[in-house]
Amino acid sequence: MDLSFIGFFLVKGLEISSPIAFSAMGGVFSERGGVVNIALEGIMTVTALTLVWGAITFQSIWIGLLVAVITGMLMGLIHAVVTVTFKVDHVVSGVAINVFAIGLSRFLCQSFFGAETQSKINPFLFPKLLGINSLAFWLIPAAALSWFLLYRTVFGLRLRSVGENPEAADTLGVNVTLMRYAGVLISGALCGIASATLFADKWITGMVAGRGFIALAAVIFGRWDPVGAVLASLLFGYADTVRIVFASKIPIPDQFIQMFPYILAVVVLAGIVGKSRAPAWDGRNYEKGED
Amino acid sequence: MERHRRRFGVYALEQSAPFIGFLASAAVLTLIIMGLGENPGKAFEGIYKFSVSDAAKLAAILSISIPYYLSGLSIVIAFRAGVFNIGNEGQYFIGGMVGAIAGTYFHLPPVIHIPVVIIFSMVGGALWALIPAVLKAVRGIHEVITTIMFNNIALALVNYLVNGPLSGLQKGTSLEPQMKKLLPTAMFGKLNGFFRAIGWNVPNYVYLDYSLIVAVVMGVLVWFLLFRTRQGFEIRAVGTSLDVSRYAGIQVSKVQIGAFMLSGAVAGLIGLQEIFAIRGFYTYNLASGLGFDGIAISLIAKNSPIGIVFSSALFAFLKQAGYGLQLFSKVPNSVTYAIQGIMILFIVAINEILIRAARSLRKKEVG
Amino acid sequence: MSEALLSMHEITKVFPGVVANDHVSLDLREGEVLALVGENGAGKTTLMRILYGLHRPDSGRIEVRGNQVSIRGPRDAIRRGIGMVHQHFMLFQPFTVLENIILGEESQTAGVLATARQSKQISALMEENKLVVDLSAHVEDLSVGIQQRVEILKILFRGATILVFDEPTAVLTPQEVVDLFRTFRAMKAQGRGIIFISHKLDEVLEIADRITVIRHGKVVETMDREGATKPRIAGLMVGKPVLLEVPRPPASFGQTVLEVKDLVVRSPRGYDAVDGLSLHVRAGEIYGIAGVEGNGQSELVRAIAESAEVTSGDILLEGHSILSENVRERRESGIAHIPEDRQKYGLLLPFSIAQNLTLGMHHKPPFSSRRFTINSRAIRQSAREIISTYDIRTPSEDTPANALSGGNQQKAVVAREMSANPKLLVASQPTRGVDIGATEFIHRQLVKARSEGKAVLLVSADLDELLALSDRIGIIFKGKIIKEIDHDDAVKEEVGLYMTGEKAHGAA
Repeated sequence: MDLSFIGFFLVKGLEISSPIAFSAMGGVFSERGGVVNIALEGIMTVTALTLVWGAITFQSIWIGLLVAVITGMLMGLIHAVVTVTFKVDHVVSGVAINVFAIGLSRFLCQSFFGAETQSKINPFLFPKLLGINSLAFWLIPAAALSWFLLYRTVFGLRLRSVGENPEAADTLGVNVTLMRYAGVLISGALCGIASATLFADKWITGMVAGRGFIALAAVIFGRWDPVGAVLASLLFGYADTVRIVFASKIPIPDQFIQMFPYILAVVVLAGIVGKSRAPAWDGRNYEKGED
Repeated sequence: MERHRRRFGVYALEQSAPFIGFLASAAVLTLIIMGLGENPGKAFEGIYKFSVSDAAKLAAILSISIPYYLSGLSIVIAFRAGVFNIGNEGQYFIGGMVGAIAGTYFHLPPVIHIPVVIIFSMVGGALWALIPAVLKAVRGIHEVITTIMFNNIALALVNYLVNGPLSGLQKGTSLEPQMKKLLPTAMFGKLNGFFRAIGWNVPNYVYLDYSLIVAVVMGVLVWFLLFRTRQGFEIRAVGTSLDVSRYAGIQVSKVQIGAFMLSGAVAGLIGLQEIFAIRGFYTYNLASGLGFDGIAISLIAKNSPIGIVFSSALFAFLKQAGYGLQLFSKVPNSVTYAIQGIMILFIVAINEILIRAARSLRKKEVG
Repeated sequence: MSEALLSMHEITKVFPGVVANDHVSLDLREGEVLALVGENGAGKTTLMRILYGLHRPDSGRIEVRGNQVSIRGPRDAIRRGIGMVHQHFMLFQPFTVLENIILGEESQTAGVLATARQSKQISALMEENKLVVDLSAHVEDLSVGIQQRVEILKILFRGATILVFDEPTAVLTPQEVVDLFRTFRAMKAQGRGIIFISHKLDEVLEIADRITVIRHGKVVETMDREGATKPRIAGLMVGKPVLLEVPRPPASFGQTVLEVKDLVVRSPRGYDAVDGLSLHVRAGEIYGIAGVEGNGQSELVRAIAESAEVTSGDILLEGHSILSENVRERRESGIAHIPEDRQKYGLLLPFSIAQNLTLGMHHKPPFSSRRFTINSRAIRQSAREIISTYDIRTPSEDTPANALSGGNQQKAVVAREMSANPKLLVASQPTRGVDIGATEFIHRQLVKARSEGKAVLLVSADLDELLALSDRIGIIFKGKIIKEIDHDDAVKEEVGLYMTGEKAHGAA
């Protein structure tokens, strides 16, 4: 076990954790505003596709990233409209969007690239740093920025107030609807970034492989705090890295090793000691003037 | 009389979301077709020709809708109890595998073998739902995440088992990974002869097999359970209001665990047609996504066991329509997936609006 | 010190079936504390909600400093200098005190919170008004009394000159009340005006400059502190006893059905909501529990009818303890319960009336046979009988419950619980939000239950109802029954005084 291997492990782990971490941060913003967003997986599926399309079409990965972020926000907008304005149950809407996303991504893939299940190869990639996708390093400033935004700005305070007690926030002049929309749109945008840290060279159906849901577990385990969610995501990510790096050396069949991140998520959720506290009005719809 | 008519009108309004949503989606589809530079008339003609133009094609739709129906049915039970079982995909793979084990390694007379296979499939599915159910009841952990995790675990598990201990392949063959072939006594026969006898000309390549009977029987049983038994009443009560159910003395945890496992049991039956009628062996390359489709099917039908008859037929129709579109026009097959998704979103949103409208209309009438 | 800060003229507000405010007028002067006194349901809360913009008056006008204003919502009210400290705080529990106070008015540089200046401002306010709170503490860690200070600072921070306090001392210890009144005096000295809603006449007499008494939606009298006495105020509050026309056959009591022995129930807020409470109810008797809301009634009911967790003590039904029984078992044992909130606990709104009428008994024959199938016909037949017996106004037994009026919904709940033929009927606020016709009907049902030899435990905020129906009234105060009064000895003012803790404890 030499130094360069440890370095490689640390850096690789960061890369593997970033899709989960970015989308988990998005989940935190949405839920702090009171909107449960289980469509992270579906949104990432679609944004990963539009990332590749944008990169190829405009011959720049950065434009691709922009396209992915915009797509994520549009998908988030759908969720926001359905839950905040039409007041559909958040979980139902999230499930519906996940189903929609599967279909939409296949349709778009066929429209853009002529094949339903995989896209063309995208040669325009993010520059590599220390051997990995350099976008992954943005995770650290992003986490710090998220923390700052949530706890040190007017926006963050109002967003949190809406998730905690929308009636009180409304009385004090906070625009509950606007805040909820904002939280969901931010989660959509972060999903766009998350998908860019996944595999930017190609889109294949099913590539997100449940990371969006592991991100949800990270949100809960991280107690709805952006830094906590990122740390929890790192836990899942590094566990997965252990699996990948040591797979050949462990005498356990491959498939069981594949199961590991998912089993870990269940175990983590089952073992959470004490009630971790979601924002008080998370998942509940608020109607003005409930007499 | 006027009051009765008005009351029926309000009821009809409340139930109309699926229809309005369907029409709205058809409108969107038309727009997409036009946007792709195709003539909608030609496209719809292509759909018609491929999916419903003769008896054989209608039979195909019926055949395809069987697994969709079972998947939708598994979700109806769960959602009615307020349980978000997103894990029916995993329950379907595990249930199918357990059923296939019974069909391959148990030597039983024909009359018993098939019912045993069915029961084992249900048990497999129910057991796969057990842990998420208990975690929800005991620790309050939201079942959406746990069931999805279990989906992924299931896929890896069956991958391992089918490639490993349960493998039925000879070394060096290039066939897809699979279990040993099912015993002939476990295979599901076809009902095509029966249908031809009653005048419906079903060709042999269409699979109207015993799984159709299973689907019909399960549908009736679930309907009966939900609307004619005390347990079903309690399931629906729990799904409506936990507070009121507790007040009425209903044991909420027990009811939810029961519904959860029953949902898993029915999900275990989804693969019957593909494994026992079409393929003759179990593989993890079964049609994927049927689980999520079942969720869509149930939501579109407002979680009604009768409604899903129509929405599963609709999904089967859409599948065929996609091929029809592709064959007879430039519109790609996958547009149907997008339309499915749009339809759900329309329907759940419109449904919410209509429920509120109906509620305020009712309040006005009674004062 | 004499210009009217606030003037409410001839405010009238009508809700379906009840006139909440009937040409109510009051005014508030600078630097004074005006006490607003009246029973539950007298109209005080509605009036203040109108002032705060939560309701629009049907007629009348409001003037602030002589200018007529139209208040369209809480934000309007705040802008006009009206601040309200509600009984149920509107705070963000996990946030700090500072965050709670400044939310909505945060000072910032380019979006980033810049709270130093505001902290100083608030510290000055704290100083001036004798309110001390740690700005960096999290609200959920604070005691209720201190949380209230945060609420007060919130409205002072927004420049409130007219402050409304709705039952502020209900949740305070005696020492905290002293501190609160010190704050009142400080605010008075700054020229602010305070409206103080309270049941507690001792406190009213201590701090108020003037007192307005409201009864049945009308202002009865506004008096100066000079010359006001407790009996005078109490008398105006309750008025002449309203002779409710409820024919009551002579009493015929049987064995003790319900016995509560030294019951202690801990509330999630960390104190003993029921604190060593004992009572007993006999067959054929209506035992009414009188008390200001929040003295343990709800927890007592939950412990008896809903198997809520009990810290110590015992509950006996016909001699045997029911503490270990779950809800279904208690129903089997013979307890029926009319819940406080019919929509939240009592009815499955999307289900039909018929189905709702069998809730709780749906698992027994004839509704369910052989523990399996539901007998729809039996359910609907039974429902039809009940609907006609109890005169529930509904188009049919298949109508969904959410289509019925509040009164008929409540009738359905009452009908259901009565037809379970219980030994003990626990009725919580059975006529709350219910029109006159249904109210009369429900009263007759309760008396009928009594005639049939059932034991009835009646919890109600309506003193007239309790006085008319109860054979004995137990006054609950701070989790104990402090006094029991027989029907013939019960005098409204006296009961009222016990309820507010004024009279000394009698034998329980």
